[in-house]
Amino acid sequence: MENILLKDDVAGLEAYFACGGYKPLKKALGLTPAEVIDEVKKSNLRGRGGAGFPAGLKWSFIPKDAQGPRYLVCNADEGEPGTFKDRELMRKNPHALIEGMAIAGYAIGAAHGYIYIRGEFAEEAELLEHAVAAARAKGFIGRNILGSGFDFELFIHRGAGAYICGEETALLESLEGYKGQPRLKPPFPAIKGLFGSPTVMNNVETLAAVPAIIDKGGDWYASIGTGKSAGTKLFCVSGPVNKPGVYELPLGTPLRDLLEKNCGGLKPGKKLKAVIPGGSSTPVLTAGEALAVKLDYESLAAAGSMLGSGAVIVIDESQCMVGLLRVLARFYHHESCGQCTPCREGCGWIEKILNRFEEGRAEMKDIDMLSSVADGMMGRTICPLADAMAMPVLSFVKKFRAEFEAHARGETCARRAGPKA
Amino acid sequence: MPTITIDGKSIEVEKGTTLLAAAQKLGIYIPRYCYHPKLSISGNCRMCLVEVEKAPKLLTACSTEAAEGMVVRTTSDKVKAARRDVLEYLLINHPLDCPICDQAGECGLQDYYMDYSLARSRFSMADKVRREKRRPIGPNLVLDNERCILCTRCVRFCSEVTKTSELEVMNRGDHSYIDLKEGKALDNGYSLNIADICPVGAFTSRDFRFKQRVWFLKRTKTVCLGCATGCLVEAHHNENVIYRLVPDPNPETNTWLCDHGRLTYKALQAGDRLKKGVIKNGLIELEPALREAATRIDEARGAVAVMGSPWLSIEDNAALARLARDSVKTGDYCFDFNFEQGIKDGILINKDQAPNTAGVRPVKAAYGGISMGELAGRIASGKIKLLLTEARAAALLKDALKDSGTRVVVFAANRGEIPAGAYATLPYAAYFETPGTFINYQGLRRRTTPPVAAPEGVKPLWDVVNKLASYSGASLGLDSGDDALKGISF
Repeated sequence: MENILLKDDVAGLEAYFACGGYKPLKKALGLTPAEVIDEVKKSNLRGRGGAGFPAGLKWSFIPKDAQGPRYLVCNADEGEPGTFKDRELMRKNPHALIEGMAIAGYAIGAAHGYIYIRGEFAEEAELLEHAVAAARAKGFIGRNILGSGFDFELFIHRGAGAYICGEETALLESLEGYKGQPRLKPPFPAIKGLFGSPTVMNNVETLAAVPAIIDKGGDWYASIGTGKSAGTKLFCVSGPVNKPGVYELPLGTPLRDLLEKNCGGLKPGKKLKAVIPGGSSTPVLTAGEALAVKLDYESLAAAGSMLGSGAVIVIDESQCMVGLLRVLARFYHHESCGQCTPCREGCGWIEKILNRFEEGRAEMKDIDMLSSVADGMMGRTICPLADAMAMPVLSFVKKFRAEFEAHARGETCARRAGPKA
Repeated sequence: MPTITIDGKSIEVEKGTTLLAAAQKLGIYIPRYCYHPKLSISGNCRMCLVEVEKAPKLLTACSTEAAEGMVVRTTSDKVKAARRDVLEYLLINHPLDCPICDQAGECGLQDYYMDYSLARSRFSMADKVRREKRRPIGPNLVLDNERCILCTRCVRFCSEVTKTSELEVMNRGDHSYIDLKEGKALDNGYSLNIADICPVGAFTSRDFRFKQRVWFLKRTKTVCLGCATGCLVEAHHNENVIYRLVPDPNPETNTWLCDHGRLTYKALQAGDRLKKGVIKNGLIELEPALREAATRIDEARGAVAVMGSPWLSIEDNAALARLARDSVKTGDYCFDFNFEQGIKDGILINKDQAPNTAGVRPVKAAYGGISMGELAGRIASGKIKLLLTEARAAALLKDALKDSGTRVVVFAANRGEIPAGAYATLPYAAYFETPGTFINYQGLRRRTTPPVAAPEGVKPLWDVVNKLASYSGASLGLDSGDDALKGISF
């Protein structure tokens, strides 16, 4: 099918116009905000940042009688290891995001929107600035949009490099100028978000899907995919495949098809060992599990993992699961904000245990210790960063225990054996 | 008003009540580090996790509000496991230097480990995160970041109570540490409260460090007399030595204690603490000093003035009034103090530095006397040959006394209080050494309980006054402080 989000040659405003751009905004402004929300509810569009929360429902959580300003925030702090879809989307189709935000802003009654973009995306931030300026010049952003009386101002805010700021409330803290640390919930952002006001936050990919939904209708969007998992999703594939990259596919596409049809299979001589299906924090699947699973929220949950951000990390037989997990542990240890005890201390502890495995100092009992340290972190912190560390640990140890045991016995793993042989 | 059940016990609470507060009402204790009743909720330590029926995860009792029908468990296996795990996480990078830590004996880590864990360490000592130790931070505190559990009570205290925001958590993850913000110093007048609220040995008091193991300390509840606020305090002492004052939180007056008030006890142990009398500049034994003072009072009979003091208890002021009226038989006595009162910094420190301005009023009401202005006028015009008063009160008449030729006889606890040119000084038992009644700026009557005894031979001021009177031949018959209070209504 034709891509909804990832299109070539629509980055410029004229080109975006040429394929019907900003017509949906005009259409939306002719509807009531409640009608716009209903259309998005009908579409079954779910959050593409990782959690998969229904977007229309999220919008409807803004209290109807809320006084004072409301805010719309786009989470473009794409930091989950393995994820690079939002960057691609912002490069290729920035106006879909801008138009989606104007529509969402109208739907929730926000006069101000922020795009909080990952600090490393300097080029994309600049590109967005230009795109917003172009949209403003044509009256799609700013005061009295298209003569409707609706005002919507859009700001680009660059992050400063912390993974944790991709977490909704840490992002808000950072946006307000504080240290990026997740807030206690409740209150949720819909009640008390940015600057204490009702706030909706959506992922780039979620917002970019809105214009098409308004244009062609919620029912049309809902008809794509599996029903509960509606629409298309961007999948970013990394690892030893022939054509790694970002692919837009209807939800429910078999993972096997993504790997074999879109990515051209694994590189010559490589054999699939495992797949992390939804970004580094989601539980790993064995090759068998991966090749049997479909890429949608429900199928991946049933397989014991998550759709997450759609970052498909392909792992082949030559790679060492212990070493890979250690890389992840180093990342989460480095990125834990340090607020909650289990995450602050647990992430570092896990990395230290894994270092022992890598350095040949581990004992058998360390394997269970890894799981028990991770268990103690699961679900016991303010934000899910602790879970993001615990889930790979638990799944790696459970599914690839033999590799951990081999390390504990002092045997070299596949990766080490490779170059030496 | 939601009704909830905690560990099988039902309770109806106000809307907005947290599970922790509701449990407390039922007498169920939920362990906590970051929670403090007078600070904002942070929810970071995860020690207060409890199980709530139908909630998929454990919830923090400190932040979760009671909702109708909630069924809460605080001792289930899941909760116990979570507490054990949190303690293990907190302890892996802890230096375990309890033997040289002042917090030992009143440490949240030690206590909760005994109550909720008792697990063996699974962490390799070599892997511990090292941080900066024993760094003096401000005039009153030492910071040991290695012992810190990052509960942020100190940070919140400085931003919410003193509103000076000196402290911040720097860096991230397990390399986080508490530090001063750039250009700040931790000297906000309330800094020692941080040592109190720090649940571990990260912040310790420079004054108290290494002086005494806490389990040797006895506790006496008394009143701080550093100003007219009259905070309730607990004096911690051992073998007749006070080691520290800590606040005794109460809804009327104080949760905290200012650094000034907290260190007032040090006057007792100061090098200039008077144990003997002073005549001019020479120390002499108590008895001869008393006789000398009595002789001078007799000599000046007819031109003696007596002044009370807002630094003295009602008992002591009343004894001075009795002395003036019934023994010296002078009309020149003054119990007229009208200092402006009220909290001046929005926290605790009073505009009135004297503790008992309000308590002198009933003495004045009972005995009358002349005003401060009249007394000053009589002194300045040379009509007063001898003035008997308390040392700090004498300073109020400094200008009138200059060149007046008036002999000044004062009561003082410390030599530093004696005004220049005083003829004789008689020591007396200070605040922490004898009971006394005071009235704070709110009009609340407060009686001090002495944690320690006065130096040998040093008596309460009313007792010294009683002796002075008997040397003059007209006994006041005071056998106790209460005797002095007769006839005074307050």
